[in-house]
Amino acid sequence: MSAYLAISAFQMSNIQRTFFKPEIPSNFPLPVYDLKANPLTEEGIELGRTLFYDPILSSDGSTSCGSCHQQFAAFAHQDHPMSHGVDNQFGRRNALPLFNLLFSKTFFWDGGVHSLDFSPLNALENEVELNEQLDNVLKKLNDSEEYRDKFKKAFGVSEITSKVFLQSLTQFMATLVSANSRYDKFIRNEGGLLTAEEKEGLELFEQKCSSCHATGLFTDGSFRNNGVPNNYRFDKGREEITLNASDRGKYKVPSLRNIEFTAPYMHDGSISSLEKVLDHYTSGVEQSVTLDPLLKQNNQPGLAITDPEKKKIIAFLMTLSDREFITDKRFSEPELFLNTPKPNEKNHSHTNNR
Amino acid sequence: MKFQVLLCCSVFLFCGFSRYEKPKNTEGTVILKFNNLFNKEALDFEKEYTNAHGEKVKFTLLNYFISNIKLTNEDGSTYVIPQDSSYFLVKQSDPASKEITLNHIPSGKYSALTFTIGVDSLRNTMGIGSRTGALDVGATAKGMYWVWNSGYIFFKLEGTSPAAPEKQKNVFNYHIGGFGGYRSKTMNNIKTRTLAFKPVVVSNRKGPVIDINVEIDHFFDQVNPIKIAEKSSVMWGEFSTKISENYVSIFNLGNVSSK
Repeated sequence: MSAYLAISAFQMSNIQRTFFKPEIPSNFPLPVYDLKANPLTEEGIELGRTLFYDPILSSDGSTSCGSCHQQFAAFAHQDHPMSHGVDNQFGRRNALPLFNLLFSKTFFWDGGVHSLDFSPLNALENEVELNEQLDNVLKKLNDSEEYRDKFKKAFGVSEITSKVFLQSLTQFMATLVSANSRYDKFIRNEGGLLTAEEKEGLELFEQKCSSCHATGLFTDGSFRNNGVPNNYRFDKGREEITLNASDRGKYKVPSLRNIEFTAPYMHDGSISSLEKVLDHYTSGVEQSVTLDPLLKQNNQPGLAITDPEKKKIIAFLMTLSDREFITDKRFSEPELFLNTPKPNEKNHSHTNNR
Repeated sequence: MKFQVLLCCSVFLFCGFSRYEKPKNTEGTVILKFNNLFNKEALDFEKEYTNAHGEKVKFTLLNYFISNIKLTNEDGSTYVIPQDSSYFLVKQSDPASKEITLNHIPSGKYSALTFTIGVDSLRNTMGIGSRTGALDVGATAKGMYWVWNSGYIFFKLEGTSPAAPEKQKNVFNYHIGGFGGYRSKTMNNIKTRTLAFKPVVVSNRKGPVIDINVEIDHFFDQVNPIKIAEKSSVMWGEFSTKISENYVSIFNLGNVSSK
């Protein structure tokens, strides 16, 4: 079903652009991002995809967006509690998967960014990630005849500015819509089937989990403290943005779509499997002033879920896997980067915490 | 023959007239000149000063956004500069940026100027397409934006002082921002300043030059005592409201001259 609607060719001044209309899944809310301000075109999307995977965005050419946002992990970072950027420096939070971004009200675990256009800047200018500065990236791109040509075709500009650079990245990210899991095909009556166990898991999920992991997005977009042990010295969560002590230890409810591919879990990647996640919710929730009220039922921290129920819930969560999304060639790393060795790329092994 | 010459001349004159723009008696220009001062003298990055708390200071950076400019007519009506043309970044290191020319001001007699120190809330929430000119984070506004907590830095003052900790190389940093928040209410350091003056005429492509003196010495003591020894680095934190409370009223009217 992942078909997008028909495209119309359009002539604007002396450039020809092919406009692209993303189809909004019927079980989703309306987009938050203002597409009118940045209409999607095939040229803009393709340019954005190239930039997403181009390590020219990093200070030493070693790291691209795709380094920590891997398609086969639904654009999260497989097996990495935290990611390492330029000079192998580590960040302090788990790389979030990238999909359904048009529908997000805020970005990052603490919601510090609210326009999709600005989300790449956070990684671009972070010393431990891409370690670059926007004006220098623009200089590198403007020095490239190939990029100037691509931007001219996509935006009709002779100079690459912050506006067209970020808009092209947004255009690519806008196409990352994940709504074709077996669950989606079931809920939209498109012939998707769930087993009895999975259906029971869905019912349990709706009882125990969907207050926070709500709607077709599987998140209500709110900030909550779910009791993951936290040394607030190093990470105060949402409080760092609002300066409100009542937001201490609160992080954005992540989507559960593609959860099969996005381990490890939580803002610090501290929980390695879904079994351990559910064990956390029944016996690992840490009490604190800001612990979410939904996890304080009957004066006990956590949720009441039996072992058989946990198994069913996990079976249901597996139906949220969208294999079309993680294999869609339109979102994949372009050939030209696959065969180019990146400087400083080390063959690293990491312990598997399962 | 005479008639034909006359006809040619008329045609020529007619063509000539239609090539001229109608003279605009209806619009003029207002120039704002921002003079950064310390103890009433032009601020100089080479000089060492002493602030109100006896702390020696040398400055290395001073930038502030001026936006949402309005002129009030002596009859009480206001003219708001079209917003997209009303964002400026004044940088001590860039003398040209200290002079702001406002064109196409409707003729009239104006007696007050209002401006925002900083960037209004709504603009802070807009997409990248609305962040051009002085708001361009990849060009003019480099270093004046928080990428981790979306929003502009409204007033940035940096320098060195023996009163600042040695372990941070005696550097002090005041990065003041905060537009009030989008999805959640957060701190708001947006300040508006109005300066009144004897009515000046704007007309016929002419208008006044309004000097605005920015008294950097009083950054440290206008309302609240800002002591480098106590707070040498203030960025995203509640204390920044004490600083914006100070700097709003260090912007004062200087000379107003008519051109």
